[in-house]
Amino acid sequence: MEITTTGLNAITSPHLHVWDWRVSLYLFLGGLSAGLAIMTSILHVRKGGNLAEGERAAISAPLYVPIILSIGMFFIFLDLERKLNVFWFYLTVQPLSPMSWGSWGLLVFYPITVLYALAMFPESKRHLLMFRQLKEFSEWLSTYKLKLAAVNFGMGVFIGVYTGVLLSSFVARPLWNSAILPILFLTSAMSAGAAFMIMISNQKKVKLYFTKVDIWLVLAEMVMLPLFFYGQYTSSGAHRESIMPFFTFNHEYFWYGIGMLLLLVIFPIALVMKFLEVKEDHGEELTADALFKMNLSALMVLAGGLIIRFTFVYAGQLSHLS
Amino acid sequence: MPKYAMVIDQRRCIGCMACVVACKKENEVPPGDFRTRVVEKVEGEYPKLRMELRSELCNHCDNPPCVYNCPTGASYKNKETGMVLLKKYRCVGCKSCVAACPYDARYINEEKGFADKCTFCEHRIKEGKEPACVATCIGKSRIFGDLDDPKSAVSIALRENHAEVLLQSAGTKPRVYYIRKFGKPE
Amino acid sequence: MAVTSALPDKFLLWAEEQGMIKATYTATFCEMCFWKCGTMAKVLNGRVVKLEGNTAHPGARGKLCARGNAGAGLLYDPNRLKTPLISTGARGEGKYRKASWDEALSVVADKLNKIKQQYGPESVALFTHGTPTDHFLPLLSAYGSPNVGMPSFAQCRGPRDVGLELTFGEGIGSPERVDMVNSKVVVLFGSHLGENMHNSQVQDFAEAVGKGVKFVVIDPRYSIAAGKAHIWMPIKPSTDIALMLAWINIIISEGMYDKQYISSYANGFTELADAVKSYTPEWAARETDLPVQQIVETARLLGKNAPAVCVHPGRHVTWYGDDVQRTRCIGILMALLGTWGREGGAFFATKASFPKMAAKPFPEPGKAPLNLGGFPFAGGEGVTQAIRTATISGAPYPIKGWFVSGTNLMKSLPNQKETIEAIKKLDLLVAVDVMPFDTVMMADVILPECTYLERHDALAVGKGKSLTVSLRQPVVEPMYESKPGWWIAKELSKRLGAEEYFPWNTYEDKIKNQCSQWNVDYEQLKKVGTITIPNTATPFITVTNQPEFKTASGKIELYSKELKEKGFDPVPRYTNHQQPAPGEFRLVYGRSAVHTFSRSTNNAELSELFPENEVWVNSRKAKEMGIENNAYVVLVNQDGVKSNRIKVKATERIREDCVYMVHGYGTTSKELKNAYGKGADDQGLITRYAVDPICGGTGMRVNFVRFAKEGSNA
Repeated sequence: MEITTTGLNAITSPHLHVWDWRVSLYLFLGGLSAGLAIMTSILHVRKGGNLAEGERAAISAPLYVPIILSIGMFFIFLDLERKLNVFWFYLTVQPLSPMSWGSWGLLVFYPITVLYALAMFPESKRHLLMFRQLKEFSEWLSTYKLKLAAVNFGMGVFIGVYTGVLLSSFVARPLWNSAILPILFLTSAMSAGAAFMIMISNQKKVKLYFTKVDIWLVLAEMVMLPLFFYGQYTSSGAHRESIMPFFTFNHEYFWYGIGMLLLLVIFPIALVMKFLEVKEDHGEELTADALFKMNLSALMVLAGGLIIRFTFVYAGQLSHLS
Repeated sequence: MPKYAMVIDQRRCIGCMACVVACKKENEVPPGDFRTRVVEKVEGEYPKLRMELRSELCNHCDNPPCVYNCPTGASYKNKETGMVLLKKYRCVGCKSCVAACPYDARYINEEKGFADKCTFCEHRIKEGKEPACVATCIGKSRIFGDLDDPKSAVSIALRENHAEVLLQSAGTKPRVYYIRKFGKPE
Repeated sequence: MAVTSALPDKFLLWAEEQGMIKATYTATFCEMCFWKCGTMAKVLNGRVVKLEGNTAHPGARGKLCARGNAGAGLLYDPNRLKTPLISTGARGEGKYRKASWDEALSVVADKLNKIKQQYGPESVALFTHGTPTDHFLPLLSAYGSPNVGMPSFAQCRGPRDVGLELTFGEGIGSPERVDMVNSKVVVLFGSHLGENMHNSQVQDFAEAVGKGVKFVVIDPRYSIAAGKAHIWMPIKPSTDIALMLAWINIIISEGMYDKQYISSYANGFTELADAVKSYTPEWAARETDLPVQQIVETARLLGKNAPAVCVHPGRHVTWYGDDVQRTRCIGILMALLGTWGREGGAFFATKASFPKMAAKPFPEPGKAPLNLGGFPFAGGEGVTQAIRTATISGAPYPIKGWFVSGTNLMKSLPNQKETIEAIKKLDLLVAVDVMPFDTVMMADVILPECTYLERHDALAVGKGKSLTVSLRQPVVEPMYESKPGWWIAKELSKRLGAEEYFPWNTYEDKIKNQCSQWNVDYEQLKKVGTITIPNTATPFITVTNQPEFKTASGKIELYSKELKEKGFDPVPRYTNHQQPAPGEFRLVYGRSAVHTFSRSTNNAELSELFPENEVWVNSRKAKEMGIENNAYVVLVNQDGVKSNRIKVKATERIREDCVYMVHGYGTTSKELKNAYGKGADDQGLITRYAVDPICGGTGMRVNFVRFAKEGSNA
């Protein structure tokens, strides 16, 4: 078949390229902050607050959430072609546009995370909030701890899942057009949140707890990813074509192949490492060696999340229906 | 309420590209961007060959993914005429619409940053003229008109010929119909 | 005016949409090619924003092709010639200095006067094409020279018109008077309508395709026309006459010719029948590499559907040097099938005409013209390369000055080496043009003509079915210091002492005068662009409209006594032409619908659609040679001339013994900043040419090329 097309737009030929590393980075960081928000709520609510007792991360984690989110939002803002028009997101609600839901969701999420951070300040540390009004506000908010934790948890789920919903809504991009994608993104986000929590927490019981959480989440991802690829493989011809970059090891699809191989390696190794960490009898304190291993497995999980976001954003733009 | 649609009789398209240039001039499309294109396909082995010529443009779908996905409502479907149009002042340049279109009909205006595409030359329709591509089509391959008017050229063309749309399975319900002919020497 | 024209088009269009400013439409006709389509130019505050076809013009019918639509790309081309230029270096070095019009015109006039003194005015030749001819041919004649050469004759349609004149007493015209829309079968020999974009003719082509007319396309390449065809015959190049003679044979032997038509209107049938006896379909099948069954069936297809059969005589027919005879074959076919003057065949031109304008007769040249090159049937447009040869040899008398307007000789004449050699012998080379094309950049003096959108030219008289007259008038004022051709001619005439031959103040005065003499309402014409004189159409043979054949006998000459008298074959004979050696491919060239040869390759609005040409080669052959699709190669011809690099199109759409490329790329002019460095120049590879002894046409499809890797020393 000899095909000659005159009048192709560079932006859609030879394939779509509208979204790049800025979007991938936002997906990762947004997901991370959402997952962290979820994990933070769990940290504070679990065992009636006992888990958070004396835990440094109980204060720092809720502060990390808006910071990481801000960095991610900065990158996605960079992606907009008409940055001065950004306020238009907030002058309208488009009921069928996941991006509209997301922009409003983020508008709600931001203040919630700040309020939550304020509410979670323990008595002993409240003096760090220098202003008197702030201290009083924090005190008042802490009476709504549980309710705020629930809202924070809910918003975290929303932010973690909506990007997946957004990508999966494009019938024109078969790679993304899968019902598993939103769940995969949410699970990956929560897993990243748990991994991050492992790294920033200082107490052994907290680290081990979230390692257990992460084991389940990584396991879930390891089930979901093959199911995702299987689902695409057995769907229409375009869907089957769309996953080929991941399984074709040549010059053109080099990075996708590498990404796939890394994922195949990272998740099982991280899972095994975490399993061993939990099974091991650590004694009173975690040894430096054990700490290193925990951080390493956490970093591997984070890397896995990053790889998923990057490869999916780029490979999705290679896929097409026609 | 006129229900505007286009019928492209591929048998008559001779691949001259007059439509591509006329559209660009009429709508001030920047260099490198195109609102319509022409695809030339030849299959077979010498000397048994077959040729298809097909021009593609925005289909002004009845189920437009670019409208659903637009977060600011910049991309919208005119309820009266059925045209999918753009409110440029609301466009943020997020490119969701470019990603959402299965027909790759949209582009980003290099200079201004907003998303853009074929508008069925709405400004010409208002003056009672045909879209620029239709007016200049040397082969009279492009037919434009009101589907609600049984005497319009599009209605007649669709009654008398089997026509198909592109990517039917995507469910976009396009308003551009193709009377195909893969030319084939006997 | 000046301020608002500096505003970007987008703003102007927006302002128009808001109703702040209104557009004006000016009627004119296009010169992006030579079809002269009536155009309505939309101007917003002094800027041409859109060009649309004029519904009143029969060549446009309200539509414009891609090139017509892109006229503003020429008008606003940043590489346009802006001021007169005088050469400061050697010819072809490209070194120029700006000069005032006065100085430039004086330099030209001085040199012309010197040549007239030293050698006589006949030693200056004019090469021209398009509407600049309206002004510079009278100038040449007023100066006293008869030596005009228009490449459109010897490098294009000359042999076609001569062949048809010898048969029917007249050519087929331009626009060709073919009635494809009413045909049942249309035959195209090498004509790639669709890629060869002549507006109304392609509209007719598409209309015929839409109506289900059967097309028989004979072409070694699967063109777009072939893609629409019912029957594609991939003939071996150079063997077309074999096919035609076999068809004539079959049509005669199976009695499929129009007996009444032949007996009423034609001479020489018996001699013809006798001469073609030996051309059997089996013989033709061997020569043409076509299946014998196909040859017989197509002949029968033509015979059964006569007279509504259009055997299209083509346009650019300078292929192998026996092109007049090939056209004779087509003419004979048209006559046998009874299609000349019948619906679905070829129609007669209008018999009406406008009264001849009284004008001062030009001075008689002292010497006999040498522009006919001694060819017995050369046309009035001259044989361009004969002038070139005379320039090189100095015989029968020297040619010392060339005036070139609107034609790119380096890209039209075969064997560029000879052109350069001739130019070296000149005392004066003047170029009048719009863009700095290859030949322009060799001139001693360059005079910038403004574009067709900025000037008046002669009223265009159309003699198709009806008599029409079209006006070209300025749409916008000339940009930079460019001037219309008529002004340049008049100014030169002043300095040559020939102003009496340009007795009007402005060209518009002349047009107004013509309109009043012709009973045409000038004000009306300015508004509508084209006026069709009613009741002037007599296209087909009827009882009251009997054909008049302007041949010596007054009838169709199937057997040409005229040719016999001059020592040529009275009935075409088949000759075997040289075929490519193994590893070689015949170089075949053609057209693109978005370009007009080398004229438009710099136009940004068109070049973005088709920035560079490609060499089409059969995919199997490409594989054999280890050449990949889209790779860049260099072509080397039989004389060792190398082309610049060109992209490969490995395709099933072409025979294994030839390669094809679109003509007009590979400009040598660095001033064409958009086009320079893109594509390859086929004309550079055309070093060998076969001259048709009957009329001087230069067959240019007689060169063979090999493939070489880029940068190799093949």
